Amino acid sequence: MSIEQQYRTRAKELLSAGEVKMVIGYGAGTTAERRRPIFITSPDETERLVLDSACIANLSGYLVTEGLLSDEKRVAVFLRPEGIRALNVLAAEAQLDPLQVVIIGFDLPKGELKSLQGSSVDDFTDLLGALKESTPDVDGRELLEKIEKMSPEERFAFWQEEFSKCIKCYACRQACPMCYCRRCIVDSNQPQWVNTSSHTLGNFEWNIVRAFHLSGRCVECGNCDRACPVNIPLRLINRKMAQEVLDSFNHFAGTSKTQEPVLASFKKDDSETFIL
Amino acid sequence: MTENNHNAAQNIYKPATMKIVDRRDEAPGVRTMKLEFQDPADHELFKETYRTGMFGLYGVYGEGESTFCVASPETRKEYIECTFRESGRVTSALARADIGDLVTFRGPYGNRFPLEEFYGKNLLFIAGGIALPPTRSVIWSCLDQREKFGKVTIVYGARTVADLVYKHELEEWMQRDDVELVLAVDPGGESPDWKHRIGFVPTVLEEAAPSPDNCVAVLCGPPIMIKFTLISLKKLGFDESNVYTTLENRMKCGLGKCGRCNVGSIYVCKEGPVFTAEEVSRMPAADL
Amino acid sequence: MTKILFTDKLDSCVERWRSAGMTVIGPVQRANSSVYDAVKSASELDLNLVLTDRSIKELFFPQSEPMLRYAITKAEINTDEFLPPSGPRIIFGARACDASGLAIDDPLFGWDYKDEYWFQRRNESVIVTIACTKADEFCMCTSLKLSPDSTKGSDILLRPLENNKGWQVEELTDRGREAFKSVADLLQEGSDPAAATVTVPEKFNADACAEWLKNPENFESRFWKEISARCIGCGSCTYLCPTCHCFDIQDEGGSFEGIRRKNWDSCSFALFTMHTSGHNPRSTQSARWRQRIMHKFNYFPGKFSANSCSGCGRCTRECPVDMGITETLQEISKLSQ
Repeated sequence: MSIEQQYRTRAKELLSAGEVKMVIGYGAGTTAERRRPIFITSPDETERLVLDSACIANLSGYLVTEGLLSDEKRVAVFLRPEGIRALNVLAAEAQLDPLQVVIIGFDLPKGELKSLQGSSVDDFTDLLGALKESTPDVDGRELLEKIEKMSPEERFAFWQEEFSKCIKCYACRQACPMCYCRRCIVDSNQPQWVNTSSHTLGNFEWNIVRAFHLSGRCVECGNCDRACPVNIPLRLINRKMAQEVLDSFNHFAGTSKTQEPVLASFKKDDSETFIL
Repeated sequence: MTENNHNAAQNIYKPATMKIVDRRDEAPGVRTMKLEFQDPADHELFKETYRTGMFGLYGVYGEGESTFCVASPETRKEYIECTFRESGRVTSALARADIGDLVTFRGPYGNRFPLEEFYGKNLLFIAGGIALPPTRSVIWSCLDQREKFGKVTIVYGARTVADLVYKHELEEWMQRDDVELVLAVDPGGESPDWKHRIGFVPTVLEEAAPSPDNCVAVLCGPPIMIKFTLISLKKLGFDESNVYTTLENRMKCGLGKCGRCNVGSIYVCKEGPVFTAEEVSRMPAADL
Repeated sequence: MTKILFTDKLDSCVERWRSAGMTVIGPVQRANSSVYDAVKSASELDLNLVLTDRSIKELFFPQSEPMLRYAITKAEINTDEFLPPSGPRIIFGARACDASGLAIDDPLFGWDYKDEYWFQRRNESVIVTIACTKADEFCMCTSLKLSPDSTKGSDILLRPLENNKGWQVEELTDRGREAFKSVADLLQEGSDPAAATVTVPEKFNADACAEWLKNPENFESRFWKEISARCIGCGSCTYLCPTCHCFDIQDEGGSFEGIRRKNWDSCSFALFTMHTSGHNPRSTQSARWRQRIMHKFNYFPGKFSANSCSGCGRCTRECPVDMGITETLQEISKLSQ
């Protein structure tokens, strides 16, 4: 039986047994290459679930949809390792109770679909721990290296050109499981912390504020990067920040549901190099 | 009913500069300001276009613009009076402004109360709390040409005595023989020396029992009050088409372009803010 | 015989227009994303795109437009008005959907109060549209009663030649004729056949959808919640849309000096309709998606006799969760059967 069929059966069983009220998974999209998030609440609909190498989006953000988990019932969700990390961060930041989430885990090493054993975040601790030690597999590594080699002026010019394209549609924020703030700082106007205008300065402000807010929290799922309609390589910023946090604090976001948020906690042996 | 086709050659987003010539605290957090045009051309345009019911965008540069009604009547166009509650970024800035300071006004926009249709009819004004200002504009527009209208009844209620606005004018209306004023505060909102009614507006209205014959009602207040007062008006025999009210929604342009103030297909800025209760009942309730 | 502009003469045209003081704008690649932008030579143009990532509207209604500069003293308020950069422009290589989108929004920006920021640019721009010989699976102009060679909103329509060496020139407006007069000697009379325009299959029945949307009973249909369940509430569809025109007005700067700007805003955002009191008439994403569809296919046509959609398909093409107008109207078409 294909992994897809196994997981459809599993989803059906979970719904039939009443163990979960909903399965958040992938369905067929507008084109043959596209997948879209679907929400299955009836065992009869599980055949709509699709699982293949095109199922890239991190669906964990839907777990913090207002009211979804407030009835204490459980929800099953298809997650890749990045999604499981996101779930851990959300749990560690008290946004949800991970016991309400049944993980249907899978991975796509080199585009090959692979199932992951386990259903609760704790089942994946070893896997996530190993991820921390592995070299991150990032698209555009060459571009990142190229940027690292740039002079500060060149680098600034590079991002200036990229951010000048930003239209402030906030697709990056909305697609991000970590961007769950009920009122984002850009939506606060007393005081107006961030210019709402989408001119180059306003775009810098927004993207840099977001990069800092995601430091130590981003799980590098790539949702923001894929969501950006003007193709700003947002993942590169997050990769850089994740590396800084790893180097400075030996912190890899989302390894456990009780992991302390790195920038909101203090340890006596914390590196102080970042304080001027 | 739009009567304000501005000259095409001008920048429709440029506001008029206004000087604050007077201000008055009405209730906690509620303030009235009297504004004078600085540019005679702006003033002329206002005099030509303003009719009771229309609204404007009041602004403070650096903070932005906020939408509320013109509280002064169409019979007094030498100045603009506005009354607002200090609640957001712009109203807070307006509240900080002092006599002599400059603020901005863009408008008047929207439709109006069709006063000609009210001629010869009895008028019933019903207002709750901070919603007296739009009603007050109509009240004075009628009182300033008193002979054109029949009996005038005003029912005004607020949560507490302190929340009543235009207290000096309430006093004046109370004294007039040609106005019947029914004042009320919510139960528990009365002061020891309160001599008027205690109760919610719908109840007080039903007790006052104005006749629906040849009568037009103007109703302004918070949504919950409007909802229950409409039920009371129905009980009293008022037809929804004879009940006028105003809607308010978030606006940025006031000109029908920025795209946010619509309730269903109706643009509050262009087709409102004045509607009959019958028109409102045809709007999708889920969009209100 | 018809007028032909051969590809190898395009650069001379660009040069001619530029030396006559016109800004020449067309589809180009900018940092891995395609937009309409100013060019110095024809070689910069990317005329093979099905469609640019971003729509033509930003040339007329930029994402952030400075409207006024204010400077305040106790005694007076000085405001300089910013007017849109004046000067003639020629937009070469627009698509029919984009050009139509501009024509669709004209009555809105002229509704009683004329928005000079829009109209000054409209009056100074010549739009040269190239009929489409290719499309992708997101294109849906034909569902909106438009076509890959619609002339709506265009001043010139170019039809690609079968041999791909140029375009047949159809002059549609005086403004278009005027702009092409200056390059008349670079055109040739010829009988080269034009390539067939691409066939864009009809994806939904817009009339049936309009009827369904007009029925008040459907306003609170469960459909809205179901169709928008996965919507994440970003503004990508609205900002890429050639007809979405909603905006915010924001002051930037301090109490004494600064700039008042008109910025794009989106009905997808919760804050869009939020009252200061906290009450929000459209408090859920489904209510906001309903507003977007109702606005485009019910309210707008009710006021301006045209759908506020020209079928470019960008909403679906770029949606992070594969939503869009096509799917919604296809589903409504089914419901209305």
